[in-house]
Amino acid sequence: MADFTVRSDAVNVEQIMEQIRARIREKRGVDYTEEQIRELAAVKLQKFLDPRGVRSDLLEQFRKTQPPYEPPQLPNFAFEDSTLFESHRGPLRFIRRLLRPILKLFFNPNPLIQALHIQSKVNTMLAEREARLEASRRSTESLYYELIHNLVLETTRLGIEVKNLTMRVESLSSRQDFNERRARALESAVVYKGSQGSQGSVGSAGAQGSLGSGSPGSPGSVGSAGSAGSAVSGAAGAPGGQMQPPTPGAGEGPGQRSRRRRRRRGRRSGPPAAVVMGGTGSPAAPAAPAAPHAQSTTAETVQQAIAVESHSTEPAPAAPAPQPSVDAAPPPAPPREPDSQ
Amino acid sequence: MKLAVVVQRYGHAINGGAELHARYIAERLARHAQVEVLTSCATDYITWRNDLPEGLEQLNGVTIRRFRVKHERDPEAFGRLQDRVFDETHSIADEIDWLDAEGPTSPALIDHIARHAGDHDFWIFFSYRYYHAYYGSRAAGPRAVLVPTAERDETIGLSIFAPMFRSVRALMYNSPEERLMIQSVSGNESVPGVVVGVGSDVPQNPQPARFRAKYNLRGPFAIYVGRIDENKGCPELFEFFQGYAKSTQGRLTLVLVGNSVLPIPKHPRIRHFGFLDDADKFDAMAAADLLIMPSYYESLSMVTLEAWALGKPALVNAKCDVLKAQCIRSNAGLYYESFAEFVEALSALERQRWLSVSLGRNGRQFFRDHYDWSVIERKYLDMFDRLRKEPAAARTEHDPGWLDRRRETIPPAREVLAKLPKGPALGSAGVSSNTGDPGRKRA
Repeated sequence: MADFTVRSDAVNVEQIMEQIRARIREKRGVDYTEEQIRELAAVKLQKFLDPRGVRSDLLEQFRKTQPPYEPPQLPNFAFEDSTLFESHRGPLRFIRRLLRPILKLFFNPNPLIQALHIQSKVNTMLAEREARLEASRRSTESLYYELIHNLVLETTRLGIEVKNLTMRVESLSSRQDFNERRARALESAVVYKGSQGSQGSVGSAGAQGSLGSGSPGSPGSVGSAGSAGSAVSGAAGAPGGQMQPPTPGAGEGPGQRSRRRRRRRGRRSGPPAAVVMGGTGSPAAPAAPAAPHAQSTTAETVQQAIAVESHSTEPAPAAPAPQPSVDAAPPPAPPREPDSQ
Repeated sequence: MKLAVVVQRYGHAINGGAELHARYIAERLARHAQVEVLTSCATDYITWRNDLPEGLEQLNGVTIRRFRVKHERDPEAFGRLQDRVFDETHSIADEIDWLDAEGPTSPALIDHIARHAGDHDFWIFFSYRYYHAYYGSRAAGPRAVLVPTAERDETIGLSIFAPMFRSVRALMYNSPEERLMIQSVSGNESVPGVVVGVGSDVPQNPQPARFRAKYNLRGPFAIYVGRIDENKGCPELFEFFQGYAKSTQGRLTLVLVGNSVLPIPKHPRIRHFGFLDDADKFDAMAAADLLIMPSYYESLSMVTLEAWALGKPALVNAKCDVLKAQCIRSNAGLYYESFAEFVEALSALERQRWLSVSLGRNGRQFFRDHYDWSVIERKYLDMFDRLRKEPAAARTEHDPGWLDRRRETIPPAREVLAKLPKGPALGSAGVSSNTGDPGRKRA
């Protein structure tokens, strides 16, 4: 006779149940069996039952306000087999005992005696049971009181925590907005500063074209700013050599005017670029050349900002850029805005 | 060969699991032997009221001999005794009192068995827990064959039944789990036994569309067939199903078939059709997407087998060892222990059509291999052949004396039950072993 094993290659119930349980575990984190859940519930309650595990003295206070329970003294009677025939008078008791067989000829008092005896015992048992139940109920009430108090406490704490977290999220969100606006302003400031002074590291980048005549050891030096500016205009700004290098105080080109317009727009929409950059330039005199040292610092900051921006948002260039080193040529110019060309 | 089937109730309209089991077996064995059924006049298993006339009658080619029940069951007295024997240390006399209170107390039936024990080759007793099986198997002596239909409940922990399991000539078990449980509680490994179960007359061409039209039922549905009772796990089913309907996108409706002794929740997706005849019942099962069996206590579950015979997957309560083990053995059903598992398993069966079809196919094959009538009949006939060839072992156990019967030293049945091994009896769950099977293990 065949055995009780039918196995289909396609379906295995135990495997399916494992998958189902795994899915349940994924959904709720931990897969507790009912026994484990009961065990956990018992542990939690034990914590509350243990006065040392309770955090506040609320339970004690509650107990103090409640009068101690004393079971009421319910009326009862004792009924034994001799109760019916008892008397404080000895002779009478003797006569009753003597006549008891005669009494039993008329009726059988035993069922009555038994019933009353049982009734008295039942009364006693019920009174004891009632007292136990009442005491148990009162202690459970105390426990519930404490439990609910702790629940309210925890719920309030959680509510406050949620509010704190909400405020923190809002703060982070506003900081992120601010940083985004700052990054946009920095991008526009790079172009403006670079073409304004044509000096510093931007100028030095353009100075690669004139390295044959310039000093290779001074790409970022302030002293070479003038020649570097001309190199920029010659190498990158005007391939045909038609555009003249801007001079402070001289007439402004059309590109510069458009940059000024953009700067005004930027000022209306956000904080001034110079302020954002931490530079000393005043919006009132944007074209005024700053101190050489300040200009150099500003240019480095801008370069770093752009590098960070390009790292975070733009794809990596196809060919790796040469790493700047002390005795190597200065680093290539960072990517420029279209309107800077 | 002459056989007698002894069961607590018997009749066409009696649909209790063990009673139906007995009727099916009697009618099938009547094709191979002369079968007489001995039973009570009762139709109600709670009161054992004498509803049917005493004497002889015929049903589907089987002679039925009915005996009057001496007294109806007193539920209060029975409840008190049950509390005592299940929960307190008690005596054998208490257990005997409990058995008499449980009924169906029919001394006339036992007298008849004692007088005519030699008239039949074998006496097949159904349901170990009742009066007729306890006293009847003793009266029939070495010709008694027991179909215990034991469930994992406290009754199995009563001490009076262990000698009965050891003294009958053979046992026809419903499942390997039942066999292991009885062997654990009684140590009757030497008694011949076989896992048989029961077949079912499932129609070859049920009409699902007819059922849907008749009851105006649309959309997919899961079905429960059986008595709608707390013992069958129905409250838990209602709770879980309402949770499923609320928490998922599932479209299943729950259809309940059977008499209800519980209030059924008012829910648009729970429909109760009451008791249906066999044609409607099988049509309903054929129309269903799956069968749900939430019962905690089953020795076999014929309804689950019928669903498998119709190619329907089952979702069963894993707390019932037998149901879980049957699902694992057949690869034809899923099981749940918690609400989360119920929802996930039900959703999987609803959404994964391939899974549902594969499980149903496995179920049909499982039914054909193990519960087809030819298989069942063969197992019974093989066992009778074997018993005729083997000499009956001499009965060595004696009844306890008057004083021993009154010693309050018997542990509560609930404690005994708790010590019995749990879980599906997988491994080599053979169907023909009669002794301790070393390869058998608990999952």
